[in-house]
Amino acid sequence: MSHQMPQGPNCLDLWREKNDQLVRQAKVAQDSSLSLRRQQLAQDALEGLRELLHSLQGLPAAVPALPLELTVTCNFIILKTSVAQGFTEDQAQAIQRGLERVLETQEQLGPRLERGLGELWDSVLHVSSLLPELLPALHCLAGLQAALWLSTDHLRYLALLLQSLNGSQSGSSEDLLLHLKTWSPPAEESDAPLILQDAQGLRDVLLTGFSGLIPSLSYPIQLHGTYLELIIGNLPKALSSLHEVASGLCPRPVLVQVYTALGTCLRKMGNPQRALVYLVEALKGGSALGPPLLEASRLYQQLGDTAAELESLELLVEALSVTQSSEAPQLLIEVELLLPQSDPASPLHCGTQSQAKHLLASRCLQTGRAEDAAEHYLDLLALLLDGSEPRFSPPPSPPGPCMPEVFLEAAAALIQAGRAQDALTVCEELLSRTSSLLPKMSQLWKDARKGTKDLPHCPLWVSATHLLQGQAWVQLGSQKEAVSEFSWCLELLFRATPKDKEQGAPSNCEQGCKSDVTLQQLRAAALISRGLEWVARGQDTKALQDFLLSVQMCPGNRDASIHLLQTLRRLDRRDEATAFWWRLEAQTKLPQKDATWSLPLYLETCLSWIRPSDHETCLEEFRTSVLEPRDL
Amino acid sequence: PLGGLASGKPRVLCHEAEAFLSTGSELVYVYDLEGGLLTAAYRFPGQVWHLELLAPRRALYVLCAGKGIYCLSLDHLSRSTSQDDGDSEDGELPSSVVPVGPDACVLPDASLCAFTVLDGTLVTLAQGPTQWKIQLFERPCPGEDPQPGGQIGEVELSTYTPPAGVPGKPADPCFLPVLCCVSPPASRVPHGHLWGSGSFTLKEALFGLLFGADATLLESPVILCGLPDGQLCSVVLKALVTSRSAPGDPKALVKILHHLEEPVIFIGALRTEPQAEEAAEEMPPGEDVHSDCLVALGHYGRTLAIKASWDKAGNLVPELREYCLPGPVLCAACGGGGRVYHSTPSDLCMVDLARGSTPSDPTQPEEGPGGLPPLLCPASLSACSVVTLSVSSRAPEGDTELLALSAKGRLMTFSLDLNSEVPGLSAVSRADTGQKIKELLSGIGNVSERVSFLKKAVDQRNKALTSLNEAMNVSCALLSSREGPRPISCTTTAAWSRLQMQDVLTATCLLENRSAFHLGQGWTLCVQVLTSCSALDLDSAGAATTYTIPVDQLGPGGQREVTLPLGPGENGSFDLPVTVSCTLFYSLREVVGRALAPSDSFEEPFLDEEPPDVLPEQEGICLPLSRHTVDLLQSLRFPGLAPPCTQAPPLRGPADPVDTFLEARREPGSHPSGPASLRAAYLPPSVACIKVSAELLRAALEDSRLPLCCATLRWLLAENAAADVVRARALSSVQGVAPDGADVHLIVREVAVTDLCLAGPIQVVEIQVESSSLADVCRAHHAVIGRMQTMVTQQAAQGSSPPDLRVQYLRQIHANHEALLREVQALRDRLCVEDEASSCATAQRLLQVYKQLRNPSLVLL
Repeated sequence: MSHQMPQGPNCLDLWREKNDQLVRQAKVAQDSSLSLRRQQLAQDALEGLRELLHSLQGLPAAVPALPLELTVTCNFIILKTSVAQGFTEDQAQAIQRGLERVLETQEQLGPRLERGLGELWDSVLHVSSLLPELLPALHCLAGLQAALWLSTDHLRYLALLLQSLNGSQSGSSEDLLLHLKTWSPPAEESDAPLILQDAQGLRDVLLTGFSGLIPSLSYPIQLHGTYLELIIGNLPKALSSLHEVASGLCPRPVLVQVYTALGTCLRKMGNPQRALVYLVEALKGGSALGPPLLEASRLYQQLGDTAAELESLELLVEALSVTQSSEAPQLLIEVELLLPQSDPASPLHCGTQSQAKHLLASRCLQTGRAEDAAEHYLDLLALLLDGSEPRFSPPPSPPGPCMPEVFLEAAAALIQAGRAQDALTVCEELLSRTSSLLPKMSQLWKDARKGTKDLPHCPLWVSATHLLQGQAWVQLGSQKEAVSEFSWCLELLFRATPKDKEQGAPSNCEQGCKSDVTLQQLRAAALISRGLEWVARGQDTKALQDFLLSVQMCPGNRDASIHLLQTLRRLDRRDEATAFWWRLEAQTKLPQKDATWSLPLYLETCLSWIRPSDHETCLEEFRTSVLEPRDL
Repeated sequence: PLGGLASGKPRVLCHEAEAFLSTGSELVYVYDLEGGLLTAAYRFPGQVWHLELLAPRRALYVLCAGKGIYCLSLDHLSRSTSQDDGDSEDGELPSSVVPVGPDACVLPDASLCAFTVLDGTLVTLAQGPTQWKIQLFERPCPGEDPQPGGQIGEVELSTYTPPAGVPGKPADPCFLPVLCCVSPPASRVPHGHLWGSGSFTLKEALFGLLFGADATLLESPVILCGLPDGQLCSVVLKALVTSRSAPGDPKALVKILHHLEEPVIFIGALRTEPQAEEAAEEMPPGEDVHSDCLVALGHYGRTLAIKASWDKAGNLVPELREYCLPGPVLCAACGGGGRVYHSTPSDLCMVDLARGSTPSDPTQPEEGPGGLPPLLCPASLSACSVVTLSVSSRAPEGDTELLALSAKGRLMTFSLDLNSEVPGLSAVSRADTGQKIKELLSGIGNVSERVSFLKKAVDQRNKALTSLNEAMNVSCALLSSREGPRPISCTTTAAWSRLQMQDVLTATCLLENRSAFHLGQGWTLCVQVLTSCSALDLDSAGAATTYTIPVDQLGPGGQREVTLPLGPGENGSFDLPVTVSCTLFYSLREVVGRALAPSDSFEEPFLDEEPPDVLPEQEGICLPLSRHTVDLLQSLRFPGLAPPCTQAPPLRGPADPVDTFLEARREPGSHPSGPASLRAAYLPPSVACIKVSAELLRAALEDSRLPLCCATLRWLLAENAAADVVRARALSSVQGVAPDGADVHLIVREVAVTDLCLAGPIQVVEIQVESSSLADVCRAHHAVIGRMQTMVTQQAAQGSSPPDLRVQYLRQIHANHEALLREVQALRDRLCVEDEASSCATAQRLLQVYKQLRNPSLVLL
């Protein structure tokens, strides 16, 4: 029964004609300049191929119809993969179905249905030696299977498949490249049904993609996300394999990636000059400027060339502001499909424009270019908040600070640049925009007056905003406002207990704000700031109180200690000063414990303002003044 | 006026005086609500799944299943409408349906399941192979080709289990995900775009509470997504913009708000607080109400409401409540005044979420929002099977107007007075009588639709009850009648017939209904054919095949005949004996399940699924009817005895072995017969012998007219359909052909056994089976023994006593047999260890011993 072909030759011809027509349609779509039209044509062709495959597979498998059926399967997979821009489970199933159909004709399928794809390929290739007419289509299908396994890291299967295709016996995955090179798919017959991409073409793509992949698979270097953790021990190996790839033939976008990765690798190996050469090469590639520019900025930062570093960051911002004019992908299996997706952790990820802008602004602030920093921060805020643009701009995503912190950094930069009024505006904007999230202030005041015990909690950045506002007032010379802001800040800070979960403002990036150290340092900063204001107003006793508190809060904080010493001296409380100085001396001999901790940038900046200007001289002076009377 | 609904996802939208309607088919209708006229109809290339209107741009976006998103310009539409008006002033349907071509397609993507439109962007939800994927596109306009790289963001949501479908062909999803866009109130984006079911504005507190400080600071709209698995997740839109090369990190971007544990049908927002504050703030009247409560409805009625409130310390905390509404929910809508409307197949209900929010302590009006009501009491609006709802924007102040589409395709308008205590279908009071009559008529139509629906449901339930009652009767009748003929019986006979150029042994099962009851829908006859395991292959259990035949209608006295093939199997072999068991099965699922399904008046796919936990684990009732064994004796054929005049074609008779061989070679299906016939020619036939006391047989057969031998042979072949020839002549031996083609010779003769009995020789009938095929001897022997066993058991029940026996002789026979058995054991052991040469001799010896064993000197008495 199953050997009788219900469809006459006419039907087969019809289907074949249909296949050829769909392939031609896909090629028309390929050439179409209008992307929408092209997408539509491709989708229609895909749907047509799906239906055709369905009707072909509705009949019992038969040898005369199989070459066409396998060709349609290949066309379907190729088109589907390129439309979806990636391999999915569907494609694997389509391949499996095709293989099972081949076995069905040989009545070998039997009960062993749950065979793996690898075994299926074995049996099919065994069978196909008896059916030479199937070979061209089968090789094409094998090429697709290879691409699929390559993209999903199934190298062992791939090696076995290539071995069986070549008919060789020995070998391991080391010889994968060799296997691939020796694989010579049979030539397509001239009267065969049309195919989108023949086995030879697939082989060429695989060869390129494969050499591009080897390093990333063997040593997780550049193209995979685990780069950062695993790179340390493997740098030289990574380097050599990257060199190998770079010397081979690969398309330009891939080459740009490889050059960038080479730059990263060489930079980490301490070869900045050679790294620079590769990065320049990558920039000449011209397609994706982001990653090499970002890498260049890192390189310059390492070299200490701040001007060049900032310049590359500015270029990066500019490069990212241009809409990526990505070419429409070909409707074929291409090397890019085989490369692993880029990962935020990989050096090939350059983020978005606003992320770059934030990086630029914060680097400016860190390197002391306050005016530039202020400008960049204002640009960034405008970019983020401007809703009128049809295109949204994202905030710096989680690796960076959360949005309130960006505001605070901007305010700090403005104060640093001497634009206190602008800083006040930014702070007010921040508070007004988040006012709905904050506990009701009227309630707060009422409770404060009543002395109610359960007080509402405020996010840390609210207190920090008041701190910066106070600093802005200081700069504007308005002591009264400054003191009241600092007091408000302290009031909020002393309510916040670090263990409390933030309420009301669940943000995914507030870990930094929540840390105990940040809270302590914020308190110290606010106390010192207020103390300094008291000093400025000549109220040394109040200042002393605040400095004492701040020293209690952060025993290791040298700034607070020195302010305290100075105040004690001014008040002429010599004995206390001496006692405190001795304590301080003893402390300095102990190792500093939290030196590694990095505070939020705005807090660092703020702390730099309240640092006593003549730090060491003051101490030295004090040492002599303390020691002298003892000598007497 | 639409005449029924196709399966799909109906939608209705209204804008000013126009209503846009899709019934789930390929058509989208445009209605003029003022005049009640159909003004235009558009045919899309696929099933329409979702409609959304971008009012300020006057554009209608339509999602076609498996095609993509199409965009129609309303300006263009109204122009064509005005042309239509000229043509059809008498209020007829527009003369033609306007087909929508591929030019209007703005986003071709077959995997899209939902979308929502914002002013500048199009947010889509596509179904990937293992994950849902939210994508963000620059809003494409009709006719324009969007720039390449129009996609500006992408993120993958949680994994889902893909519906079980044919591989490579995606199954039609039962439930579509729900997408909507939530904006913060201060959003700089023009307010006008927030229109339709797709978008709404939440108050700052709730917005910040749900979506975090970043979203609040950025004033970014948030995409809310309700998935068929019950997840409710949110994505901050401004954070979603990612580079094309890297999809966003789901962990950072997607936040799961809640899990409803049933398919999410609807997401909406409403205002539960009194509007007083808003009046002070001089909000633009009407549309842009800032909602303070987010609502999500699941298919089975689980409802989630979230509000922001302040705890005692003044901290902002979410207040989250889950309610259970009657389900299954078909659709829902949020109206003004804190009301949620939801429709089930049997009613349209309204619940009031604002009811609990009157401030508990009037002295503290600034206490903040009041709580959500602890319980919801649905109030009926007396309309059933509303499949889609929309709250109209043109209602006068204080009223709500609902636009509803019923399952039968009627578009209805409900006007609800919010101030009336008892909500109901109150007519818009107009002075003129014509309008009133119109409303009354519409009310009647409404009621009649509801009645017809309920009637149908009742009918179905009655039918199911009747059917169940019948089934009970039948079961009782069958199970209680232990003796005598059963009221419903099934008899099985075996016969040879010629099918497709091949002789086939068939079993015919005759189902007879002699009871007073009726076997109707839901009953099936299950026939199980169980082949015995092959003697050569001890490990393999026999293969069982079950045939299921629906007993369509079998009244009292009716008969149904079913013929099933028993062999030859695929390799041409017969595995006799074959056991045929017949069972009656009553499917509860088929009968009861259908009646319990809420409605089949329209083919909404999720209505056809059975409500969970209603049916017991057991799916039906199983009543065994009969069990019959077809053995070799029943399948013997007697070509040699056939009268020459009969047209029965000569079967493989005694033929030249060479011919037989050649013939066998020609048919690859019948391998075994080749060697068998060869052996038949060259090997001595195998023999087996059974002896039965003549007295016993005579008593059993009760037929004294014939010689005992003939009677015995007849008795043995009684169930053989081809044995008429044997019956016609008084034969004491017969030559037959076994199903596999080997000859089988049955010889019955009377002998006297002298040594056995003390009282002298006893008359004994000896049945000898001879065949060239050892397997057939075994089968025949087995069949004869089987008959003997039945006979002896029957006779033993009648209490006949055996004559005195010579115990000494019996012992000796027994000893002999034991020696033989021991030898068999030893020989078999040797066979395992010996080499080829000597094993041949051993095998020879083994065969001899077996032969001795087959010819015992014992007699059945």
